[in-house]
Amino acid sequence: MTALLDVRDLSVRFAMPRPSLFAPRPHLEAVRQVSFTLERGEALGIVGESGSGKTTTAMAAIRLVNAAGGQVLFDGEDLLGLDEKAMRARRRDIQLIFQDPYSSLDPRARVADIVREPMDLMQIGTPAERRRRVGELFELVGLRPDQMNLFPHQFSGGQRQRISIARALATHPRLVVCDEPVSALDVAIQAQILNLLARLKAELGLSYLFISHDLGVVWHVCDHVAVMYLGQIVESGPRDALFETPQHPYTQALLAAAPSLARRKSRGYVRPVKVSGDPAGPIGQRTGCPFAGRCPRVRDLCRDTAPALTRQGPTDVACHFPGPPD
Amino acid sequence: MKQPTAETAPAAAGDPATAQRVESPAREAWRMFSRNVPALLGVFLLALVLLATLYGKLFYGGDPFEIVWAPYEPPLTTPSVPLGTDYLGRDIVAGLLTGGAPTLTVGASAALITMVIGISLGSLAGYYGGWVDNLLMRITEFFQVLPALLFAMVLVTLFSPSLWTIAIAIGVVSWPQTARLTRAEFLRIKELEYVTAARAIGARNRRIIWKVILPNAAPPLIVSATLTIGVAVLFEAGLSFLGLGDPNVMSWGLMIGANRDYMLDAWWPVTFPGLAIFVTVFAVSLIGDGLNDALNPKLRGR
Amino acid sequence: MTPLLEIDNLRVTFDTRHGMVTALDSVSLHLNAGETLGVVGESGCGKSITALSVMGLIPQPPGRIAGGSIRLNGEDLVGAEPARLRSLRGSDVAMIFQEPMTSLNPVLRCGDQIAEAVMLHQNVDSARASRLAVELLDRVGIPAPAQRARDYPHQLSGGMRQRVMIAMAVSCRPKVLVADEPTTALDVTVQAQIFDLLNEIQRDVGAAILLITHDMGAISEMADRVAVMYAGRVVEQGKADDVLDHAEHPYTRGLIDCIPALGRRDDTLREIPGVVPPLHLLGDGCAFASRCAHADRRCLAQKPVLTKWRHHPVACHAVEEGRI
Repeated sequence: MTALLDVRDLSVRFAMPRPSLFAPRPHLEAVRQVSFTLERGEALGIVGESGSGKTTTAMAAIRLVNAAGGQVLFDGEDLLGLDEKAMRARRRDIQLIFQDPYSSLDPRARVADIVREPMDLMQIGTPAERRRRVGELFELVGLRPDQMNLFPHQFSGGQRQRISIARALATHPRLVVCDEPVSALDVAIQAQILNLLARLKAELGLSYLFISHDLGVVWHVCDHVAVMYLGQIVESGPRDALFETPQHPYTQALLAAAPSLARRKSRGYVRPVKVSGDPAGPIGQRTGCPFAGRCPRVRDLCRDTAPALTRQGPTDVACHFPGPPD
Repeated sequence: MKQPTAETAPAAAGDPATAQRVESPAREAWRMFSRNVPALLGVFLLALVLLATLYGKLFYGGDPFEIVWAPYEPPLTTPSVPLGTDYLGRDIVAGLLTGGAPTLTVGASAALITMVIGISLGSLAGYYGGWVDNLLMRITEFFQVLPALLFAMVLVTLFSPSLWTIAIAIGVVSWPQTARLTRAEFLRIKELEYVTAARAIGARNRRIIWKVILPNAAPPLIVSATLTIGVAVLFEAGLSFLGLGDPNVMSWGLMIGANRDYMLDAWWPVTFPGLAIFVTVFAVSLIGDGLNDALNPKLRGR
Repeated sequence: MTPLLEIDNLRVTFDTRHGMVTALDSVSLHLNAGETLGVVGESGCGKSITALSVMGLIPQPPGRIAGGSIRLNGEDLVGAEPARLRSLRGSDVAMIFQEPMTSLNPVLRCGDQIAEAVMLHQNVDSARASRLAVELLDRVGIPAPAQRARDYPHQLSGGMRQRVMIAMAVSCRPKVLVADEPTTALDVTVQAQIFDLLNEIQRDVGAAILLITHDMGAISEMADRVAVMYAGRVVEQGKADDVLDHAEHPYTRGLIDCIPALGRRDDTLREIPGVVPPLHLLGDGCAFASRCAHADRRCLAQKPVLTKWRHHPVACHAVEEGRI
């Protein structure tokens, strides 16, 4: 049986302004030949820092950003090859939850209309059925029916995120792309939304493509995890293996950097892996490993030759010198 | 820096427990507007001007072109011509009451033309970007650098002065501002996530432009439309003053234009229509400012 | 020993369209020389207002310090002359803001901004101030500091900008450094660098840090002591280890248990239901009562007072009565 989503060599390039009139137009390689698969009923987490291309990857996979190359097989059918009309029809299977609960809902529409809109657009059911479905969705995500006629600004951040989830579920999608769905929320509210997402996944058999910069959140929600750095996947694998025995120095650095209750100032903690500097910009040509500039383990080989993503132990790693931290 | 009041504001605005009152953004804007005293004064003044223009003739008859008294009769001297007469002996009150309609009609139609051209081109440029944007913005700039008054004068002299040609001329020279404003709003809003959300549920471009972005871009456009009416009224008056108005229709501008040579001998034939124009434009500006305050969410809660 | 900074019974009110609300109520905190006090809570709990009060930056109106005192080295900052506050700001108390992009002046070179801060409070000429600025940039770990000093803020990355902010803040060796969510806008690897840098600077300069954060992980890595705030009041206070390991207040427990921590194997996270109530709707009882599983009639009727219990001070009737 084919995977629900099979992304092969996906690339995205953005054209930049020319530096001078006759110079060739430079391109920003936001996503470089990224491949991953997502099985039915599972959640794949894509983690990375800003500029890693994690959101662009997901948006290109569902054709909200134009891809420069590659294939996106959804249920065996290449989404990148569909015409506009066929893609619009496909959208009922693929939905999206956004990061910012304040800008993802049209401030001038009542929330019941927001949740109903996907069904209106795709002409699913009769108007009465749609209204009933809105009621079901409100209950499903934990909103009260008497809140249906309110406007988005009358809700708190967590409740708006529930509305966003209800809208995404309106068309019974099979794949839900979650783009940092809790990073704009307070911790206490975060837990409410994460629990809701976990419950919906189990009850409705949803598959998530889950974008986040927060390792703890990804740990909690995802079955598989891919770590991205400057447009490439540097390590991917099952959750436990990736978090417990990370092989790539960048994954190790991310884990060491995540604030943790286990590290106490009183006990004078020392980070096991430290990286210096910020990620370089993704513009221009690059030879060698994307992480070479910040890697504690860097050697000459890393600057000249880009490592390929290969199975090394429990995870797939793109590193010439993988292994546990020194 | 985080605004210190921001800590209290979201809780106050989004409290779910008390948010039982269904208040739409438009309703909330109206509530803000209705508490704004200068804006209400503007509404009152404009209503007064409109009522006088529409129904004034029912109570105060008389042809504004008819010579009814001796020329240069000062105001408040003769009961049958309360505000005096002009250089030909025509009744100024009759002129004021009749002259409002063409001035306001031209103002409103010119504003309408401005909005239609400006919003259409601005939204296309802002939404599609790329070469569409480039082309439309170059056209906009071309119109923007034309000296507006001269261009309007040329248009009016080419196509014989009538109310319609004047309205079109004003519309054609004043749309670029609206186009730029619309484009800027579209550029901002199209990056917001609810627009991506609309695309993700398969909405077409036309729907996104009209149903999603435009309503959210409306507040500054409404304000700008209001202010455009004021500008258009002034423009019409200016053209008439220069003798380019329709000579067969009495308007405030025409009254000023016809009497301008005798201004030093008799102040009243130009002052009263001037005051009428001033009050109209002032009222419209007050309303525009009030709408701006009411529709601009950043000012809410003050 | 008297503490370096002592906030006593501070009450701050704001005029809003819902009438007057109390943003801070009976807040008492103290900060000893060379230590880090973490103030933690959700948005709307008053932690940023606390930071701004210490800086004397509460906008008045609509804000008003309605009572209490803030003493720095024994000198009361509440009611101090604006000129005196200005001279203290930057020299004795300095602040690091959340958003380094908007808190640096975009049209001034980074080096010049630091030099300007130095010249405001120290009697040095501009050449010496510029040299000091480069030294400071070097001190906060900016590579090639002499070149970076000539850069404008937009030419630097977010992490570098925050380092520039820190350099500026420590330029006059302040006694108190107020850091308001200093890493919220940064990536996690950069956040770790900034945490390590702040700890290092504290060891070198001996500054006391008032760290405002929503992140219990940051508290664990940075703070010696912690104050948990909710709806404008301190609900629990104590040594960081003590509070993290023996949290008493249901809110503190909730904040710790709702973190999706790495390695935690529970399927569902502990939730704190509901949201922080808006300040204008606070009644007579405990502000947390509506979200608390242990609330009873007394909690709804009477505000609990911060009193020392088992390990450290807690403001909770249920803890006091031994119901938890």
